[in-house]
Amino acid sequence: MLLGLSWLRQWTPFEGTAEELADRLTMLGLEVEDIRDPFAHLTSVVTGRVVECVPHPASDHLSVCRVDVGGAEFLPIVCGAPNVAAGQMVPVATVGTTLPGGMTIQKAKLRGERSWGMICSERELGLGESHGGIMVLDPKLSPGVPVPDALGLERVVLDVSITPNRADCLSVLGLARETAAAFGLPLHLPQVQLTEAGEPWSFAVEAEADACPLYQARLIRSLSVAPSPDWMRYRLLACGMRPRNNLVDVTNYVLLETGQPLHAFDADRLHGGRIRAARTPQPLDFTTLDGQVRRMEPGDILIWDAQGPVAVAGVMGGQDSEVTETTTNVLLESAVFHSLSVRRTARRLGIASEAAYRFERGVDQLATTWALDRAAALMAELAGGVVAPGVAGAEPVPYVPRSVSFRPRRVFQVLGVDPGEEFAHKTLVSLGCAVTNHENAWEVTLPSFRLDLEREIDLVEEVARFYGMDRIPAVLPPVSLSLDALAQADTSFAETAAVKAWGKGAGLLEAVNYSFVSAADIKRCGLPLEHAVRVANPLSEDMEVLRTDLVPGMLRALRHNIAGGTTRVRLFEVARIFVSDAQRETTVAEALRLAILLHGARFAERAPYPRGEVAFADIKGLVEHLLVHLGLGPCRWLVEQARPYLAEQATAWVDGRSIGAVGRIAPSIADAYEARGAVWYADLDLERLLAMARQARLRFTPLGRFPVVRRDVTLRMGWDISVDQVLGAVAAMQEPLVDEHFVLDVYHPQDAAVRHVTVRVVYRHPERTLKDKEVDKVHSRLVSRIVQQLPVQVV
Amino acid sequence: MKTQLIQDLEALVPRFAEALAEADASDVEAVRVQFLGRKGSLAALMAAMGGLDPQDRPEVGRVANAVKARLAELWQQCQERLAQKAQGAAMPFDAGDPAWVPHVGALHPTTRIQQEICAVLQRMGFETVSGPEVETDFHNFEALNLPPGHPARDMQDTLYITERVLLRTHTSPMQVRTMLARRPPLAIIAPGKVYRRDSDLTHTPMFHQIEGLLVDREVTMAQLRGVLTALVQAVFGASTRVRFRPSFFPFTEPSAEVDMSCVLCGGRGVLDSGEGCRVCKGTGWVEILGCGMVDPAVFAKVGIDPEQWSGFAFGLGVERMAMLKYGIGDLRLFFENDSRFVRQFA
Ligand SMILES: [Zn+2]
Repeated sequence: MLLGLSWLRQWTPFEGTAEELADRLTMLGLEVEDIRDPFAHLTSVVTGRVVECVPHPASDHLSVCRVDVGGAEFLPIVCGAPNVAAGQMVPVATVGTTLPGGMTIQKAKLRGERSWGMICSERELGLGESHGGIMVLDPKLSPGVPVPDALGLERVVLDVSITPNRADCLSVLGLARETAAAFGLPLHLPQVQLTEAGEPWSFAVEAEADACPLYQARLIRSLSVAPSPDWMRYRLLACGMRPRNNLVDVTNYVLLETGQPLHAFDADRLHGGRIRAARTPQPLDFTTLDGQVRRMEPGDILIWDAQGPVAVAGVMGGQDSEVTETTTNVLLESAVFHSLSVRRTARRLGIASEAAYRFERGVDQLATTWALDRAAALMAELAGGVVAPGVAGAEPVPYVPRSVSFRPRRVFQVLGVDPGEEFAHKTLVSLGCAVTNHENAWEVTLPSFRLDLEREIDLVEEVARFYGMDRIPAVLPPVSLSLDALAQADTSFAETAAVKAWGKGAGLLEAVNYSFVSAADIKRCGLPLEHAVRVANPLSEDMEVLRTDLVPGMLRALRHNIAGGTTRVRLFEVARIFVSDAQRETTVAEALRLAILLHGARFAERAPYPRGEVAFADIKGLVEHLLVHLGLGPCRWLVEQARPYLAEQATAWVDGRSIGAVGRIAPSIADAYEARGAVWYADLDLERLLAMARQARLRFTPLGRFPVVRRDVTLRMGWDISVDQVLGAVAAMQEPLVDEHFVLDVYHPQDAAVRHVTVRVVYRHPERTLKDKEVDKVHSRLVSRIVQQLPVQVV
Repeated sequence: MKTQLIQDLEALVPRFAEALAEADASDVEAVRVQFLGRKGSLAALMAAMGGLDPQDRPEVGRVANAVKARLAELWQQCQERLAQKAQGAAMPFDAGDPAWVPHVGALHPTTRIQQEICAVLQRMGFETVSGPEVETDFHNFEALNLPPGHPARDMQDTLYITERVLLRTHTSPMQVRTMLARRPPLAIIAPGKVYRRDSDLTHTPMFHQIEGLLVDREVTMAQLRGVLTALVQAVFGASTRVRFRPSFFPFTEPSAEVDMSCVLCGGRGVLDSGEGCRVCKGTGWVEILGCGMVDPAVFAKVGIDPEQWSGFAFGLGVERMAMLKYGIGDLRLFFENDSRFVRQFA
């Protein structure tokens, strides 16, 4: 809402500065976002007296003028307007001015004559549509005065952000009321001098109760359409509205003043002397005044004459009943429409009109008559019309005064500070409430213009607003804990934080990707779309599907890093994936995943690190490290095709449950994200891992006190069996003397079909020192069992 | 003959490694002689090559050379190990030598500041809870006193899945979920992702919020101010000031917008250079969160008696806090995951 300071001052005698007003309004919850001079660009356009005006020697339509702009010398200016003449007071754009059309005035020579400025038309100054020559100002003005001041233009406009509850403040009147209450000033409503004259008239008005609680109209006759007077046009311009003509401008002006939207019909284009405000029972096509054919749906409120619809109620008028240049008689409407319906219709039609904006937030039913009279009087005054006697109207739902019981002590109970009963009383009265004191509670009758006030708590807020919310002290609350709450405690945040801390500790950078991806991303990764959740109104194709896997986001992040010159990438992300699940309340199942992505060199390319690329061992190692961190394991790895976007891959299993997959991003997909070389990736079911970690019981194992004996065995094995199987076979023997066993070395001999795997077995007895001989016996039994069970040979 | 010889040669590698591992300075030379000496195992096997068919010799020769090289490498490593052991502290060293720094990881700045904020509130007794990011219209709007068609719905452009299911536009549905699931007293915070149909220089379609809710007997706005002041001062420093301005949210009454004194200019609105501050646009204040007392209409929706219980709620934008705290000027950086960006928040 744009509020002109001088306009406000006509309604309440506020003498302070714009900044003082802005601060106070902001601290009342009416946030002033900006204070600006709407005509700042015209400051260097000044009044000038044409001292001399002679025809240009080299042109038959140009004049050469000398203009007094209050400086030491007269300015030479070449002017092309036919109406320029010596003695006139004119607006002169001085050198350096940039006009609203974008032209910047420079010292110039026009056909040999110097021109150091420009004498402007209204249109060139953005002050009107008239381009029939230069603007001629009041000759009594002195030269050299900035034109905005000379014309008395509004120099200070406050841009006030009005929250949706404060429909009453979408007007000068509303903001004047707040200002008056805040500064203890009186409120002056403009006097409406309405003179009714002429023949009696009648219009049959009908209004459906659930569509239009109140409909009123006046007839104004013998009008002549013309541009509005300067003061009105300039004021509308200052408040961001384009002036049209003296009829339309009056409706807009009174809308800005009072917040009551008005509509002017050309009375001669209405049929049958009747008006009806009612919902349309069936769909129909209707042409609005912007010339568009709009589809109206059942339930939309329309204004009908005897022949058919003439306006979309509260949204936009119709083309066939619009006021035109030739209109002489106007039917002026001031009504209240069902706010939800107006909102629904306006939104569906995509019309964001000033009228709809106010109707959908609610208008003051008791102010419609005043606004109607004010506008009728202005129209008669500005367009030379005559207001016909009486008002045609219908009020199926008369306004019923609302009141609420208010306990003054609630203010202290809610705020924790007590402004005092007297302050509360004064505030409510200054806001237009009528207060009747009772013992513990007051009976407060609410003003008709404050539709947001309905309950005691709303009045508490009013008292707090005027007391100053910033005066509320800061104290810390006692926070009660209950055993119930502790038992139900949600541990997921702490668990997730611990996993992220692990990622950081493991040398990974945390990524945060958007939850939505494109369907193309999902398809490219070979993932199914059938259970994917689609956004009904996505911002773009890039964001149309909720991710069913973290991989598209991680690959996008990889591509962004590569494009930015980072070739060594180590990322992880903890986030949710989404799939449709009709069983759920939200129709969507969400599950927490952990993704890890490695790409490029294993270490930074500098001393003392060795060279080399990340490999399967790195990504597998990170997963096993995480499992240790979570108290889970051991992990078994199965080579199987589990993720469509991975080439070489394996699934990880803990306690017989799959916890995720690890592998190399398929080269064709990596290529699509501009990755050269292997991209290693892990996709882990964090939901399951955290659940398992929650169940994991940590038990202490006594420390071995006797020395260990090590025995190594080197096995020659093919690629048809996994190293994991060898280790698994040792473990499966459950030999009590085996303390631990692991792969000591892998040697790749010249015969590429086999490898030599050296397994070290560490023996220890819990209660005594082992003898070499008994170890030899156990070891050779163990080795021979392995050789029997698996296709391996001892080297 | 040929196969046997290759196998014997290759078996030397693990045997030598094992023998070296068990040897110390006194007997290591004996191990070397045993394997690599003129009459050692390798020499013996090389000599045996003489008995091969001439066409098998090149192949076995290649294996022998590979094995020989590997044995030499093992010997070299063993000597280095023993030399280090012998020299001990007397080894020459340069403290300027490049260090072997393990991989440095980092949390995303939103995670970092989110954890910092939650930690402060957890110390005050608030419990952290989480809930779905895809929400019902009921939890996201209706139960929060935003019935269908309410003009305040315009304040949050919504991404819908269906007519009744949407991506939550704020973390406030967690107020509803908590109050439906548990009885007061309640003290919870709910950090998480939220979504809006909005994308420009200062808005991203996904961002993070932290919701706070306290429901108890005789909760006051002064207590709300206390909690938020403590929070802001813990995160931005004890000299930070907090300002309460009336505002409007359908689910709180009274509602307030909270400003914090500007971190860049110290609340003066101008920088030391005399330039106007661009962070606060010269006002000295920056808006950081919205809050208020739980609206009785919300209590009614979840079956809590507003005469018995009262409460406050607040919701703050995590990215905004991170931008102010770390001086990040461009919101888009948060979702690009540039390593050079994330690494700074280690
Ligand atoms: Zn600042």
